[in-house]
Amino acid sequence: MSGISLLLSTAKDALLAQQMALDVVSHNVANVNTPDYSRQTPILQARPPVPYTGLILGGGVDITSIQRNADAFIENNLQQNQSDLSATSEMENYMGVLENLFNESSENGLSSQMADFWNAWNDLANNPSGDAERNALYERGALLSQGFSELSGNIDQLNKQLNLSLDSSVGQVNEMTARIADLNQQIATMSAIGDPNDLLDQRQHLINQLSEYLDISYYVNSDNTMTVTTGKGYVLVSRADSYSLSFDGNHVRWESSGSSTTDITDSITGGKMGGWLEMRDSIIPEYNDKLNQLSNSFIWEVNNIHAQGVGLETMTDVTGTYGASDATQNLWDQNSGLDFWNSIDSTGTFNIWVYDSSGNVAGGGPNTIDVDGAGGNTLSGIASAIDGIAGIHAEVTTDGKLRVYSDSDHSFAFSGDTSGVLAELGLNTFFTGSDASDMAMNANLDANRNLIAAAKVDATGEIASGDNTNAVDMAGLQYRDAPALGDTLDNYLASLEGSIGIKSQSITRTREYTETIVNKLKETKNNISAVSIDEEMTDLIKYQHAYAAAAKLISAADEMYQTILDSK
Amino acid sequence: MRISNQSTYDVVKYQLANTATDLIKANEVVTSGKRINKLSDDPIGLVQVLSLRESLSSMNQLGRNVSTARTWLDGGETALSSVKDLITDMKTLAVQMANGTEGANERAAAADQVEGTLEQIVSLANTQVNGQYIFAGTKTDTEPFSIDSDASGNPTGVTYSGNDTPFSIKIGKTATLEVGHDGEAVFGDGSTSGIFKSLIDFKTALETNDDAGIQQAMDDLDTDLNQMISATSDIGTKGVGLDVKEKILQDLNLSYTERKSNLEDADILAAISDVNSKETAYQAALASSAKVMQVSLLDYL
Repeated sequence: MSGISLLLSTAKDALLAQQMALDVVSHNVANVNTPDYSRQTPILQARPPVPYTGLILGGGVDITSIQRNADAFIENNLQQNQSDLSATSEMENYMGVLENLFNESSENGLSSQMADFWNAWNDLANNPSGDAERNALYERGALLSQGFSELSGNIDQLNKQLNLSLDSSVGQVNEMTARIADLNQQIATMSAIGDPNDLLDQRQHLINQLSEYLDISYYVNSDNTMTVTTGKGYVLVSRADSYSLSFDGNHVRWESSGSSTTDITDSITGGKMGGWLEMRDSIIPEYNDKLNQLSNSFIWEVNNIHAQGVGLETMTDVTGTYGASDATQNLWDQNSGLDFWNSIDSTGTFNIWVYDSSGNVAGGGPNTIDVDGAGGNTLSGIASAIDGIAGIHAEVTTDGKLRVYSDSDHSFAFSGDTSGVLAELGLNTFFTGSDASDMAMNANLDANRNLIAAAKVDATGEIASGDNTNAVDMAGLQYRDAPALGDTLDNYLASLEGSIGIKSQSITRTREYTETIVNKLKETKNNISAVSIDEEMTDLIKYQHAYAAAAKLISAADEMYQTILDSK
Repeated sequence: MRISNQSTYDVVKYQLANTATDLIKANEVVTSGKRINKLSDDPIGLVQVLSLRESLSSMNQLGRNVSTARTWLDGGETALSSVKDLITDMKTLAVQMANGTEGANERAAAADQVEGTLEQIVSLANTQVNGQYIFAGTKTDTEPFSIDSDASGNPTGVTYSGNDTPFSIKIGKTATLEVGHDGEAVFGDGSTSGIFKSLIDFKTALETNDDAGIQQAMDDLDTDLNQMISATSDIGTKGVGLDVKEKILQDLNLSYTERKSNLEDADILAAISDVNSKETAYQAALASSAKVMQVSLLDYL
């Protein structure tokens, strides 16, 4: 082929090529705001030359392919950092919630309530028989125990929210992996024809979204399909197949092709799910445990002092607040089922004073119960030892609690408990419960505020109702170290709150750092892949002019034909 | 370098969000007046603030305890100084009655005066502060002293029904101060020793016109007066101790409040100028972002 027909055919190819290039430009312009869209470039190439009368003439232009501008290395890097960022962002959010629960920046936090509680004991010590002081103290105690139990309930609620989030995100992950598997199949089919650029973009977009939920890794197979696994290698997508995750209310499970499932909870470290799991399984339990240790010590220390004292009146019928699951086990044995089994000193003793109807000590003196002595040791043993005292009786109730009650014309009081057994059994105590979740006031005190023990029975068994020695002891607890905490109760709370603040601060810093990296990588990725309108407009003009020039070639050919035809 | 439109938008969004966050944080400091608004703003500072708050709260309470202690001491001091005056009067009476010129009638009349004084002193020994008996040991809601009388109504003795542990008030982290009194130690048991026995003996001596008895009463009353003086000066010493305690508490309160404020409160001037500079930065960012986003080749085609 030669001459005018060559000119025409070259011009026609050029027209088609420039038009196709304009199609690509318009596709780019249309997708300027599409997330994870990679700009496409038409690859123009000169056609193979044609030999003609000893010369080699060029054969015009052709579009050989449409190239997708993407950098797999940057994409992969971005995806991994995005995964970390999602994890720390979620942790940051939940730490913010946890901080607000403690709410110490205001003056209504737990530490203020504790201070009010100590002050109320001081006020009672200044006026031990005052009704107003007794009521105020009761209310302070009730507020404080509510403060603990509300905090515990709110932390519980936080865990429930985390589980709900985990549950719904597992569904989203499954949807995404199914769509990736779907795209894999389409990509494999279309790759036989050409580069399915837009499907690759869509798949990359899904990968990026998926990595916001959990840490994943992926690689592209020779047939252009992608294999996606969790960070620890459990396969989520393999060619056209996807493998689901499930959530059983506590664990994230991976469902393999068979019917078996594997618990992969601990292996998820990135993405929102990684962040939520870290909060739920590591950070929140750490602070919740500390809160429970604090309230456990608080209950024990207060009760142990309170049990030493006596109120404005003696008791006639009292039932302990802590039950034993097995009344035949030693009181210092875990198998007894008593909450404070390991807090007592089995070598200690305590006294019971019995009073006759005119308030005089009956039986000539205190009845001393030796906790590990004959007749002691177990709850049943203590009960029968007390039952043996004239004027009073004792029994183990059906729920394993110790009930002590007197004959109708007698009453009784406790003193000098060096063992802690009274506090262990909840006899003559202030609080009930054993941790933050179930801390509450002893119902006996609610019924009768006169039982708040500001006084102590003296060595002769006499009860001075205006005595304040036990209240003074209690007020001093504020400044004493709680043995189980190795610190005062107030200081322990302050350092617990400080450690939450430090954790929150360090998570925020990690988030800021990771966000900077992610932003830089995103910028790099976008500068490689995303559309620039200026650039497309330049290309538009470039291809438009080329198109016009090619059209000019056709009209030149037309004129040439005309010239030849006219010459006849 | 190639810059995509997406990069421009992303950078603008990120930077605007950052400057806006800075502005909001600076504003929070000004509006709350506090430098620490949540645990993570300054965890170390917060722990110190919490501990200072706790110390301040307990110091305020100790301050209240100290003023309660002062009320008790004042009550005791007033009662004892009245008792002292009464004893002095009785001594004068005894000196007067010891004179041989006084007859049985005068002495009988004086006996009535002695009985009246006995009742007054018993009533002073039953002094209450805030409804609590201060000379009853820890049995602060039991009237400590009561007069025993024979069939014809003559006092035969005074019974103490308090106990021997003085009522104490907590005035320091570990310190307590005995502000009440073991009444028996101050006034005697009422039957074998002390002011009540002296007065009853004096009265009997007057009634029986017993010169030796009146002489004896003068000696006894001297001993009792010394006892009262020593008890009063004991209270005075405690009062001085309380003054020191109160001063220390006030000084500590001031310095703790100042330290807490330094840690917790915002320096308002600095905070406001911070808001201004953050606002300027934000406005500059907005202005320049608006310019950058507007420019496009399209405007020139």
